Amino acid sequence: MDLMHHSSTFLLPTIPLHHRPSLTYALVVLNQTLPRFAPLLWKHAQLRLCADGGANRVFDEMPLLFPEEDASDVRRRYKPDVINGDMDSIRKEVLDFYRSLGTKIIDKSHDQDTTDLHKCITYIWDFAPDANKSSLCILVAGALGGRYDHEMGNLNVLYCFSSLRIVLLSDDSLIYLLPRTHHHEIHIQTSVEGPHCGLIPIGVPSRSSTTTGLQWNLNNTEMRFGGLISSSNIVVGEKVTVQSDTDLLWTISIKKL
Amino acid sequence: MPLFFPQEDASDVRRRYKPDVIKGDMDSIRREVLEFYASLGTEIVDKSHDQDTTDLHKCVTYIRDSASGLDKSNLCVLVVGALGGRFDHEMGNLNVICRFSSMRIVLLSNDSLIHLLPRTYCHEIHIQTSVEGPHCGLIPIGTPSKSSTTTGLQWDLNNTAMEFGGLVSTSNIVKEEKVTVQSDCDLLWTISIKKL
Repeated sequence: MDLMHHSSTFLLPTIPLHHRPSLTYALVVLNQTLPRFAPLLWKHAQLRLCADGGANRVFDEMPLLFPEEDASDVRRRYKPDVINGDMDSIRKEVLDFYRSLGTKIIDKSHDQDTTDLHKCITYIWDFAPDANKSSLCILVAGALGGRYDHEMGNLNVLYCFSSLRIVLLSDDSLIYLLPRTHHHEIHIQTSVEGPHCGLIPIGVPSRSSTTTGLQWNLNNTEMRFGGLISSSNIVVGEKVTVQSDTDLLWTISIKKL
Repeated sequence: MPLFFPQEDASDVRRRYKPDVIKGDMDSIRREVLEFYASLGTEIVDKSHDQDTTDLHKCVTYIRDSASGLDKSNLCVLVVGALGGRFDHEMGNLNVICRFSSMRIVLLSNDSLIHLLPRTYCHEIHIQTSVEGPHCGLIPIGTPSKSSTTTGLQWDLNNTAMEFGGLVSTSNIVKEEKVTVQSDCDLLWTISIKKL
């Protein structure tokens, strides 16, 4: 079974030059309060999308993260490449503002079968050449909080696109999928994340999971909702390994800096 | 609590909203808060030796096993603050309602409420349209569902399979004042709470 490496270098001020794996980041902003490190994610991303009302958030809240600067300058600097979605939340003046700056507007209001996040991921998937898909990592701001059915729909997107690296981010935590098809090495960036972590068997029970590097390691351990799930765990050291018979969600706390 | 009653004196509000019990591993409660409520007669149950269960788990166990003077024949536990914050905590709280599946436990945030629909029953959900809805969802959180059936939703399920990685019923809409659900597995029901 192949090894898959993970590292939250997108939370570091600069990504080390020879860091492996070398990833290309895309950022999707959903319609929740921007995390305080949103400008950092924006800086690391080569493609920036707003899902519908996420554009309102960038318009309203980016200037708040730079209170000493002129709001218009901040808005011009943080201009999304694409706004995608069913357009039922974005304010008209926000849409007009970004359209006038050259942002590509993709109106999917006819498509009520998928969530705005799903539409954005599909767009990125279609946009990225096949050769680059394995080095792509999609950062999603605003996937948690708000309506709970939305949050569950966003978690489901991780499972629907299990061959893509997608990281859901809030102010407090990050979450990504560890597909069962690989052994996993998670390199902990202790300056920005941890120590609280968890491994969550959403959707299907796990008959056997094994870890190293945690305070309470799993050892061929069964996990399921209604029984044991690994929450309130602690990372000990800088490397965690995970292997499991099912897809697991990895979550780790983000430090308040 | 005093912030909800800005015209009143904070001490009066605090005395009026005095918890019966404070329980948990006590690593977050501030000393002056603990002493204030202890002096008012709140029962303090210090479970700092028990690191195997979450604070919510400890409280639900206490309610189920120990709380005296409580009519338990028709008990419903309302939980405030179960969502948001650290994601592993949130999942641990969801797991508590799955583990105590024979108890009615409702998780509440400003935006949504969640409770379990155990597979052992057919369910009738009477929608209080003045305070909740219309956005809702049915989530097969722990196991795939081979067959779920509903009435009263915009996108009803009809012997439909649901699982993570496939179809999960989110962004659904309640269409009638009564929603019925039956399923071969435990489902989470969630509905939006109206901003009043």
